[in-house]
Amino acid sequence: MPSSDSEDFESADEGQEENDKKVRKKRTSSSNYGDNALETISEPKETIKSSARHQTDSKPKSDGWDDFDIDCPIENEKVVENKEMKKCNVSKSKEDIKSQDTGWDDFDDWGNEETLIKTTEQKQQEVKSDKDIKELTDKLAASTVQSSSWGWGWGVDSLLSSATAGITSITSQVSQGISNVLETGIGAPDPEELARKNLKATAEVTEKHPDRNVNDDKEVVKEAAQTSSDDVSFPFGSLLSGVTKFVETTGTKVIAGGLDTLETIGKKTMEVLQDGDPGLAKKRAMLGLDPGEKPVLSQILREAKAKADEEDKIREEKREAKEVHYENLFDDFEGLVHLEALEMLSKQVSMRIEERLRAADPEKKQDIKETMQQVIELCEIPEDEDDEETSEDQSKPDAFHEKLQIATQDLGLKLQFQSLVKQYTDILDFLSSNDSMNEKVIYKRAVSSLAQATALSVEIYHKTAEMLLVKTRRSTADEADALTQMTVVLTKHISELATLFTVKLNSIASGNKDQINNYITNIFLESGNSSTYIQNAFQLTLPILQIGAV
Amino acid sequence: MTSGPYNYSYIFKYIIIGDMGVGKSCLLHQFTDKKFMADCPHTIGVEFGTRIIEVAGQKIKLQIWDTAGQERFRAVTRSYYRGAAGALMVYDITRRSTYNHLSSWLTDTRNLTNPSTVIFLIGNKSDLDGQRDVTYEEAKQFADENGLMFVEASAKTGQNVEEAFLETAKKIYQSIQDGRLDLNAAESGVQHKPASPGRPLAAPPASRDNCTC
Repeated sequence: MPSSDSEDFESADEGQEENDKKVRKKRTSSSNYGDNALETISEPKETIKSSARHQTDSKPKSDGWDDFDIDCPIENEKVVENKEMKKCNVSKSKEDIKSQDTGWDDFDDWGNEETLIKTTEQKQQEVKSDKDIKELTDKLAASTVQSSSWGWGWGVDSLLSSATAGITSITSQVSQGISNVLETGIGAPDPEELARKNLKATAEVTEKHPDRNVNDDKEVVKEAAQTSSDDVSFPFGSLLSGVTKFVETTGTKVIAGGLDTLETIGKKTMEVLQDGDPGLAKKRAMLGLDPGEKPVLSQILREAKAKADEEDKIREEKREAKEVHYENLFDDFEGLVHLEALEMLSKQVSMRIEERLRAADPEKKQDIKETMQQVIELCEIPEDEDDEETSEDQSKPDAFHEKLQIATQDLGLKLQFQSLVKQYTDILDFLSSNDSMNEKVIYKRAVSSLAQATALSVEIYHKTAEMLLVKTRRSTADEADALTQMTVVLTKHISELATLFTVKLNSIASGNKDQINNYITNIFLESGNSSTYIQNAFQLTLPILQIGAV
Repeated sequence: MTSGPYNYSYIFKYIIIGDMGVGKSCLLHQFTDKKFMADCPHTIGVEFGTRIIEVAGQKIKLQIWDTAGQERFRAVTRSYYRGAAGALMVYDITRRSTYNHLSSWLTDTRNLTNPSTVIFLIGNKSDLDGQRDVTYEEAKQFADENGLMFVEASAKTGQNVEEAFLETAKKIYQSIQDGRLDLNAAESGVQHKPASPGRPLAAPPASRDNCTC
C-alpha cells in the first residue's frame, strides 16, 4: 500500500504527463461526475469527490477563509470527532455569513443544530487517532500558511459538501477520507503541493493504520489534486448546485457540538473575518468588541440576549409613553398639520399686508398700521368673563354647541362644530359610565381627549381663516370679536375637560395615590398645553382678520 | 422598533391639485381608506390624509394635502404648495376642460415647489371610458413633454390609485438616495417649526418626542 501511495505521489507531483491524460479523460465528463465516481470508488466517495470539485469551483473568490480553516484544526487538536463536528459547524457558519450580512444573528441556531447532529456524528464515526490527524493538519496548515489566500466561497462550498458527506457517510474510511479531502481542499493552494502534502499525510496515516483502506484515501486525494489543477474548466453553476445540494441533503439533520466548540469557532471566525474583511470592523464595533480582545461566543450570546431584553423593555416603555404622548396624539388628530397649514396661510397673508404697506403712501401707511393695531386690540382676550349659567333643560354638549354658535354668529361663516360637540358627548358618556376603570385608562383617555379637542379647535381656526380669505364682504370688527369669543369658549372647554377627568381620577377609591396625583398634574399641564395651541392658532388668524381691513 | 404608528423614517408631503370635481378627494380616500366616496363634498381650503407606506424597506409616512379645486380657493391653496415632495396633478378624462387647465396647474406647481418635487399626472375616472374626452395618448405625450409621470386611474374602482401614490414615493425616495433631493435644502424651503410633520425631510419621529419618555 505505501508503495502505491508513492506512485500516486509521483504522478501527482512530477509525472504530470501521465496523470494529465487521466485527468483530461475524466474532465471531459466533468458534468457527469457520478460516472467517474463509480469507476474509481464506492458510492460514498462520490460525495467526497464532488466536495473536492466544489472546492475548486469556488476557488477564484478570495477572502482569507483559508486561515480560518487551518487555524481551526490547529487550535482544537482534541478529538477527530470533535473536529468533524467543527467542520460542519464551520461550514454552517460560513454559509450563514455568506448568505446574509447579519450572519452573526444566527449564532443561536448553530447551537441548536449542533446538539442535533452530535449524536449522528458519534454514531457514524469510529474512534480515530488524534495524533494522526494532528500531524496531518499541522502539515496542511504549514503548507497553506505559506500560500496565498483562497476564496472563502471555496472554503464554504467544500465545507458544505463535506458536511453533507460527513453526515451521510457510514464507514470510518469514508469519514477519514472526508477529513483528508477537507484538509486538502482547505490547504491546497497549489495542486502539486497539495497532492504531495496530502499523500504524505495519507501515507503517515496509513502507516499507523494498516487496516485502513488507503486506496480510498488516495483516490480522493488524487481527485482533489486533479480538480485543483483544472478548476477553471468547471462551470460556476456547480457552486450553486453544491450549496443547493447541501441544503437539500442536510435538511434537518445538520450540525452538532458543544458550546465550547461554537465559542472557538465564533472566536476564530471573528478574527479571520476581521483580518480578511475590513468592513467587519464596523460589525465588530457594533457588537461592542475591541479589535484586540478575543470575543467569546457565549458571552456575545448572553450580551445579545440581555440587549434584546433591554430593548424590548425600552420599546414597550416607549410605546406606552407614546400612547399617552400629547404631541403625538395631537399630530394623529391632524392638529399639527392644520396648525402648519394655518401658519403657511398666515405668513402668506402677512407678506401681502407688508407689500401693501410698502406700496402705500406715507399717510395711508399710518392708517393701515392703526387699523392693524385696532384689530389686535379687538382680539385681546377679556380678562375675566362671567360664567353664564347653563339652562337646566339643556345637555352640556348642547350648551357648548350653542355657546360656540352664539360666539361666532357675527363671523358670517358657517362653521362646523359637530365634531367637537360629538367628542364632548363621548367624553361625558365615558366618564359617567359605571364600568370600573383604573387610573391609567382614565389618564390615557384624558390626554387623548385633550389632544383631540385641541386638534379639532385648531382645525376650526384653520377653516375659519381659509373661509375668511375667500369671503367676499369682510367686516373685520365683527370677525375679530367673534373669533375672540370663540377662543374664550374653546379654552374654557379645555379646562372643563381637564377638570372632568381629574375629578374622575380623584373619585377612584383604590389605586396608587401618588400615581393619581402625578396623572392629575400631567392632565393640568396638558390642558395648559392645549390652551397654548389654541391661543397660537388664534394669533395666527390675526393677519387674516387684518387683511380684511387694510 | 418594528411596528407601531410612529416608526417611520421619512415624512413625504404630497399635494393633490387639479380642477374642481376631477376627483382629488376621492383619490385620497381611495388611497387612505380603500373606499370610494360617492358624494364627496367640496373641499374647503385643504384637507389632509395620511398613510404609512414602505419603500425599499423604509417606512414612509405620506402626509397628503388635498386642496380645494374651486377657483375661489386658488389663492389660499397656492400657500400650501411649499415643501411638497410630490404633487399629484389630476384631471378628469371625461372633461376636456380639466385637461386643458393642466398647463396652468403645472405652472403653479413649478413656481411654488422645489425643482426636485415629483409631479405625477393622473387622468382620473378611467372607469368611465365610454365618456372619454381625452385620449390616453395625448395625455401621455403631454406628460412626456413635461417630464411628468403619468397614469390613468379610477378612484371608483381603485385602479392605478395605489400605483400613482407609491410610484411617486419611490421616485422621491430615489431622489433622496441619488442626492438630487437635498433634505436640508428642502427643509430650509419650508417651515421653521422644527416639530411639524408634512415636510419632505428625513425627520425621524424620535426628534419630536422629547418629553414624557
